[in-house]
Amino acid sequence: MKKYLALGMVLLLVSLAFVVAAPREGALLLEGSTTVGPIGDAFAQVFKKMYPDVSITVNKTGSGNGAAALVDGRCDIAMMSRFMKDKEYTKAASGEKPFLPVAHAIAMDGVCVIVYPSNPVKALTREQVRDIYTGKIKNWRELGGPSMNIVPISRDTSSGTYETFEGLVMNKEKMASNVEYVNSNPQAHSRVKATAGAIGYVGLGFLDDSVKALEIDGIMPTRSSIAKGVYPVSRPLFLFTNGYPELGSLVHEFCTFYLTEEGQEIIEAKGFVPVTAY
Amino acid sequence: MGFRIFSRDFADRCFTAFSIMSVVLMVCVLVMVLGPMMLHGLKAVFFFGTNEFREMQLAVFGHGDSERIRRENGEIEEARLFVYEAVGRFRRGIDTDHLSDDVRDIYRDYGSYLRDNGVSGERYSTLRARAKVLRDTLQDAFESRDKGTVQRNLQSVLELRDDPDFRGTVIEAYFEKAESYTHVVESVDLSKREQYAKAFDEVQEALSKLFGPRPGELLPALTIDQYGATRWDVVQRELQKLLWIEEWVETEPGQPMVKHRTARKEFFANTDLEPIFDYTEKNLYRLFRPRLTFYWRYFLDESTDGHYFGGCGPEILGTLALTFFSMLFSIPLGIISAAFLVECTSDNIVVRVIRTCINTLAGVPSIVFGLFGMAFFVLFLFPMLGEFGHETLGIFSAETAKNLTKPNILAASFTLGLLVLPVIIRASEEAIRAVPRTYKEAALALGAGQFRTFMTVILPAAAPGIFTGIILSLSRAAGETAPILFTGAIAFGPVPDSILEPTRALSYGSYDIAVGDRLAMLVPHKQYGMVMTLVALVLTLNIIAIWIRSRSSRKLRGI
Repeated sequence: MKKYLALGMVLLLVSLAFVVAAPREGALLLEGSTTVGPIGDAFAQVFKKMYPDVSITVNKTGSGNGAAALVDGRCDIAMMSRFMKDKEYTKAASGEKPFLPVAHAIAMDGVCVIVYPSNPVKALTREQVRDIYTGKIKNWRELGGPSMNIVPISRDTSSGTYETFEGLVMNKEKMASNVEYVNSNPQAHSRVKATAGAIGYVGLGFLDDSVKALEIDGIMPTRSSIAKGVYPVSRPLFLFTNGYPELGSLVHEFCTFYLTEEGQEIIEAKGFVPVTAY
Repeated sequence: MGFRIFSRDFADRCFTAFSIMSVVLMVCVLVMVLGPMMLHGLKAVFFFGTNEFREMQLAVFGHGDSERIRRENGEIEEARLFVYEAVGRFRRGIDTDHLSDDVRDIYRDYGSYLRDNGVSGERYSTLRARAKVLRDTLQDAFESRDKGTVQRNLQSVLELRDDPDFRGTVIEAYFEKAESYTHVVESVDLSKREQYAKAFDEVQEALSKLFGPRPGELLPALTIDQYGATRWDVVQRELQKLLWIEEWVETEPGQPMVKHRTARKEFFANTDLEPIFDYTEKNLYRLFRPRLTFYWRYFLDESTDGHYFGGCGPEILGTLALTFFSMLFSIPLGIISAAFLVECTSDNIVVRVIRTCINTLAGVPSIVFGLFGMAFFVLFLFPMLGEFGHETLGIFSAETAKNLTKPNILAASFTLGLLVLPVIIRASEEAIRAVPRTYKEAALALGAGQFRTFMTVILPAAAPGIFTGIILSLSRAAGETAPILFTGAIAFGPVPDSILEPTRALSYGSYDIAVGDRLAMLVPHKQYGMVMTLVALVLTLNIIAIWIRSRSSRKLRGI
């Protein structure tokens, strides 16, 4: 019995030591979109090198939760792949500690429509894509391709990518029941890569030789067409803060890091388009 | 009569067959699902690492024999020099913008050189004018696509080589450039320059994936791009991209396109680039020095962003911390509740309702616990306690109070603890109930009090059963993602140094790799590696718990 008691005491002491450890010099908590998350990760890594005493944490739970966390004060910066909704703004402005969220557009992303690489179809219009997803067009033959059933693949309805696609391509029309839903960009990519008749949509960073991107309304998704906003399914990626950050503060430096050359290089290396490129 | 025996026999056999089948099914699932997962996961620890891997380990994590790595790298850089030189030569013929810029710079330098040496007036203007003619002729040569023009221009530049005006000045570089470009023109078909430029970009990309940035080149911002192929399997994959051009070509309109492979060597035939393909393929081993690596530090190392390099040390630590604190919270509570339910109450309606509630709680989806944990601990209880402790009692610093308003290990542990509490209560209750009444009666008869009886007689006798509950809940707490998602888990951040900070965890980490980054597609072994680590960790914890259980039950039996 005594032995166990001693063991228990030791464990308790260990856990107490955990509690009273020295506090860090500063902390930064980022929460939000899984799309913007990788940029957050990479920025955080650079900041960790610059300020070893500062703790920067990144959590990827989706744009919606990012906004909610900023409103609740659970995070310092919300990463979002869409703009804040009116409802979220109202909530922020009417809460216990009211504030106005400020947006920092740090990069551009294009939602690219992809097909299996052997598919001879090279270009579609937004209307055709919409018809595919609403089930009006069911075979690639109707679009000048081989006689093959179309397998439309969509992201889950809670993702920012879906919302962009729904807003810019679907015009809020409902998707047909034969549409397959997947949870993430890598999944959408691997599903299209493995299915000859598949069509799907992913962020620009996920394009490689194993899938083929289509021209939409005659415009190929490239860095320049997305940076200029010419490509019809482009979207900016945001960081949202509680008011404009205090100048010289860590939050301020983090939110303006995308303007530096290193920040731009990181954004490009992560498969996005720097807003400062044009 | 005979029929009844037959049917009973038949039912018996059916039962046996079904049970065997279900056991076989379980084994199949284990072997078919866990087996490949573990095998893939092992690739994160056992693999053929190239010198790039060792270099990365040394630079990023400070592991390895620096002397040996430096020596090896020297040899490898020497071997790579052949490729770099060929690329450099070829680039001169393709990337003429870059040459034109150089020529302009030299002209500018020449101007300041003259001024520095006190040349002025008429002589200065004449010399500058002559240099300018040279500059323009060279630039025209670089920009022209007509072989004749180029050669004529270069010739006229080279004729001035022995001119005393230019000897010993920076202008001499012009003649070197003209000379080397003469060689380039002989080997490169200038009209194909655009085509080459595109294909050359691909070659350079493949080379940087293989070898990393060229020595002397500016280091890229991300660690991922600072090193070449660190694993032999990646080397082989990237080599294919270097050696072959893959295209999808249309054979008939309206039919699926066909993959078409052409050797890059043929595309670049008769140019400076041609030999590098054979050279790289033949000397691959010499260029990378792959060695079988047992990367045991995978279980200790920090990782770079997106888990591209490094290991899962912080994740293991986080999972252990979360499991430990949730158990610290739920085991005493669970056992005390169970003791109360068995020992201190009679079987009335209230107890039955409580028991039903506990059973229901055991079946509630874990995400519900996660949301509850966020709403109750993170948003309500902890901030309140923090404020109270800071402002009224003054026992917390402002930092602690602020930390309490954000997700942290403590909140996550409490949430996990709540999640496993019903399991522990149920198991402990059954175990305590199974202790024979005679034990208790004997202890009481000897004069021990209620509490003493429970602590010294009933609890040790029930220990094996209680441990079973603990083992089950331990594995669950270690593997759950949903309860910690909003209460204390993060995808990226420092190793926490207090329990009031959020942490990384294996379960959330594997989820993050799977959905987050495009990097995940490039490092499947890291994804499997993390899952393997989680399974192995849970297995280890279970083995320890089972060992303790068997010890305690052996003691009970007096062996």
